[in-house]
Amino acid sequence: MENFVKKSLRFSLLIILIIIIITVIFTKIAKDNSKLETNLDKYMPQDHPAFKYSNMAEEWFNIKDAVMIAIYNENGIFNYTTLKKIKSITKELGKMKEIRKEDVTSLYTADNIVGTEDGLDVKSFYKRVPKSKEKLDNLKRLVRTNDMVYGKIVSKNMKVAIIVARIDKDVFSQDFYKRILKLGKKYEGPEKIFVAGRPIVEGTLAYLMPKDMKKMVPIVILFIIGVLWFLLKSFKNTITTLIVVLMSTVWTFGLMAAFHIPIYAVSTMIPVMLIAIGVAYGVHLYSHLELHLKDKPNISKTDAIANMMKEMWKPVMMAAVTTMVGFISLLTSAVYPVKYFGLFSAFGVFSAFILSMFFIPAVLYVFNLPKYKQNKDKKEHTKIYFSITEKIIKYKKLVIIITLIVLFISIYGITKVWISSSFLSKFEKNSDIVKTDRFVNENFGGTTTLNVILEGKEKDTFKTPAVLSAMLKLQSKVTNSLPMVGDSFSIADFIKRMNKVMHADKEEFNNIPNNKDLIAQYLLLYEMSGDPANLWRVVDDKYQKANLTFQLKSDDSVQLKKAIKVIESFRDDFSKLGIKINYAGSGYKALVFTDLLLKGQISSLIVSLIIVLILLTIMFKNFYIGLIGSVPIILTAVINFGVMGLTNIPLSSTTALISSIAIGIGIDYAIHFIDRYRIYANQFSDKDTASKWTMYHSGRAILFNAMVVIAGFMVLVFSVFPPNRNLGELVSLNMFTSFLGTLTIMFIILYIKNIYFEKEVK
Amino acid sequence: MKKRFKVLSVLISLTILFAGGLFAQKKLTGLDIMKKVYNRKSPKDMEATLTMTLINSNGSKRVRTIKQFIKDFGKVEKKIMFFIAPADVRNTSFMNWSYDDPKKDDDQWIYLPALKKVKRISSDSKGDYFMGSDFTYDDLGDRNPEEDNHKIIKTEKIDGLNCYVVESTPKDEDYMYSKTITWVVKDRWYGLKKKFYDEDGEYLKTLTLKKADNIKGYWIIVKVEMKNKQKNHSTIMHLTNIKIDTGIPARKFTERMMKRGL
Repeated sequence: MENFVKKSLRFSLLIILIIIIITVIFTKIAKDNSKLETNLDKYMPQDHPAFKYSNMAEEWFNIKDAVMIAIYNENGIFNYTTLKKIKSITKELGKMKEIRKEDVTSLYTADNIVGTEDGLDVKSFYKRVPKSKEKLDNLKRLVRTNDMVYGKIVSKNMKVAIIVARIDKDVFSQDFYKRILKLGKKYEGPEKIFVAGRPIVEGTLAYLMPKDMKKMVPIVILFIIGVLWFLLKSFKNTITTLIVVLMSTVWTFGLMAAFHIPIYAVSTMIPVMLIAIGVAYGVHLYSHLELHLKDKPNISKTDAIANMMKEMWKPVMMAAVTTMVGFISLLTSAVYPVKYFGLFSAFGVFSAFILSMFFIPAVLYVFNLPKYKQNKDKKEHTKIYFSITEKIIKYKKLVIIITLIVLFISIYGITKVWISSSFLSKFEKNSDIVKTDRFVNENFGGTTTLNVILEGKEKDTFKTPAVLSAMLKLQSKVTNSLPMVGDSFSIADFIKRMNKVMHADKEEFNNIPNNKDLIAQYLLLYEMSGDPANLWRVVDDKYQKANLTFQLKSDDSVQLKKAIKVIESFRDDFSKLGIKINYAGSGYKALVFTDLLLKGQISSLIVSLIIVLILLTIMFKNFYIGLIGSVPIILTAVINFGVMGLTNIPLSSTTALISSIAIGIGIDYAIHFIDRYRIYANQFSDKDTASKWTMYHSGRAILFNAMVVIAGFMVLVFSVFPPNRNLGELVSLNMFTSFLGTLTIMFIILYIKNIYFEKEVK
Repeated sequence: MKKRFKVLSVLISLTILFAGGLFAQKKLTGLDIMKKVYNRKSPKDMEATLTMTLINSNGSKRVRTIKQFIKDFGKVEKKIMFFIAPADVRNTSFMNWSYDDPKKDDDQWIYLPALKKVKRISSDSKGDYFMGSDFTYDDLGDRNPEEDNHKIIKTEKIDGLNCYVVESTPKDEDYMYSKTITWVVKDRWYGLKKKFYDEDGEYLKTLTLKKADNIKGYWIIVKVEMKNKQKNHSTIMHLTNIKIDTGIPARKFTERMMKRGL
């Protein structure tokens, strides 16, 4: 090995050149072909039955997410200017290229069907904006008596009206959002304008997260440089370490672009992983070099580098291989962005490994070794590590007890972990987007929708009185038992309204008539008099399928699940009527998606744990060592989820992936430590001395690595964007647990179990 | 004019839209051509069965059968229609009285047999679709040519018939169509085809004549199809058992008859 390295070092310049060329090529590819994917639908496995069904149902009933513009006037909306603004906003929205005119609903577009003693009035609420007090009062009265608009598009206190624009899946862009906000701004004063709705939340999230990252990453890198420089005591080495990480990131994104795989939101986690893992390789190599040079200050450059490679290539390679395998296990996930994340993170780790093995020695050779100040007293230098080792050994029982306590608390914490598919929860509580959403939710049914799709066995099922009554029963049960469900809407509401209207608006007829023919005739009448497009949003034209919509005041999966639970209790009732229940809509899809993601994440964690265990066993040719090596990983993963549960950080697509770091980092530390322990065990044949020197050699590098990454990621704690804050906290936590777990409990187990010292004990 | 419940207008409208008198020819303008289409000679009364087939985007069909009567009383035109099928709406009836005086709103009634009550309906015009079909009331011929600017863009031969191709743009900017293009058959003065463009100038739908018969000297449009490209939805209207100038009595157009049914 040493000879091979020495010979290769002669080609250092060439190696650097090749690496630079490869990096340039990957940069070019990444620049030309990279595509950001912000459409959340693209994240979901489209062949999954729940998504397949939902997509079908969305097509049947033209289910779309809506942008809502709320206009608020504290003196009430029934005055000339506010009504005029509602009309203008409605018209302007309809003219935007992203919105179809017929998809805009407001008081201006709504039909007002009113019954009188001898007739039926089908009119708009207003066309020309009313001016006189008499006309305005009349309009107010009409709104108050029409359940189809009162509380739905005009708030019950008559101070807020909403204009709803339903938009297609892929039209939302930042530019569109800006234009909508600008449109709203134009009509402000004295009225207040609020823009809400799921597309706004999703779109802003997709835009804000990378934007915040862009701002934070340079600061993160700056901190890492600072700490690395302090620890490695060499600016050259600091920069080289960082270049290795950055180049491995470029290679990874270049390869992704080469395969035309778009950058998903979870892909932003790849650089995070590479920083945490990639820095470790450099730190371990340089740390060894420094210690070796301190030991033998006068050896040649070539000898020093060769020694570094000889001593370190094996643990670094083992660490890289196991980390890669850990990431590759994410291929078991059903979610494509996660599969890609795993695959390309593995490639990134591979790149970082290759670069560490070739670029670092080559740069050292070409740009010369760093000059370390020589400590006069070698003991001075090792003292602190030796005394720490002594203390750990001395207090080993205490360490074990503390670890067990922490483990138990964490396991309790895990039971508190909750899953969130909420997008809104990712924003600051006092951010505009959250405040707007809260405002709209206070005044109307809710900004989140859950579509319940009912399917009958034969056509005209949804003209049957029994079926319609069952629907109303379900609707009132869900809305009355769950405060977060603000409203519901179905074909039954249409029939109820028609029945009332056709009986001179008498309240006692605000129900489902017990006559199937009459219902059919009402529907015919509605088709001819109202806008049939409204009807096809709640029922299909064969009256065999229906779409029952619930409006929720929160996009939290907990609330959605509660609603679903109540709905499920009606499954048997509907089954007796020959009706199947299914769900659709973006809120539901997000729920299924999150569940799918987490199940995949947990199963892949378990799979990778098993694989890592096997690999460790093979590498160290001992099952016990494999088991011991897995301790930091398990500890890190358990504490990670435990802390999430205890500190109320929900499991979401990004936070779930952070646990992968537990594997990546935990395994690295374990391997470095055990490998060094093995070497010193052969060298010293005394457990305590071997331990001390291992702590001095590997423990020091591990400490450096942890310090660097923690310092870097703690920067994210100051991010304005809560998910990035969580990321910073959890990555730092994981680094810390891996570090502490390796140097304390794992070491203690190695020590107690007399690993590598069995013969002696016998 | 209010149009929402002008259900009976179907038949008369079809004839108006596509028919025209046999006038002597001179140098015609676009407006002249459209006026000939609009003002053509129509029967005094007419009775027919209308079969309306609605086809949605996934090809599922719904068929409605309606018996309808129309009579021109000079200053007022009265129409009555009865649903024959589907069975659950059988004998549901609609009546419409439309006045020559443009200031006077139409009178409209509906009768739902399950409710056993005649109800008067008042509504405002919104260019709405006729009975959930792809036709608006305007498409069915209620639009006065004076409301648009017309120009002949070319002449073309289709199915052996010489046609004027007339482009019409509305004088009112807020109208639901930004433009229509009509292929009018020379000397017969009915349209063979009409293309509609929505208010944003995008192609919306096409009306195609499937069959026209000359009955007692009138060109009667028997079958038309409207294909809405944007909604991927289409409607076919087909008249059968057409009887012309049979002298339908005035008492046919009363609330009593609506209740009596067929």
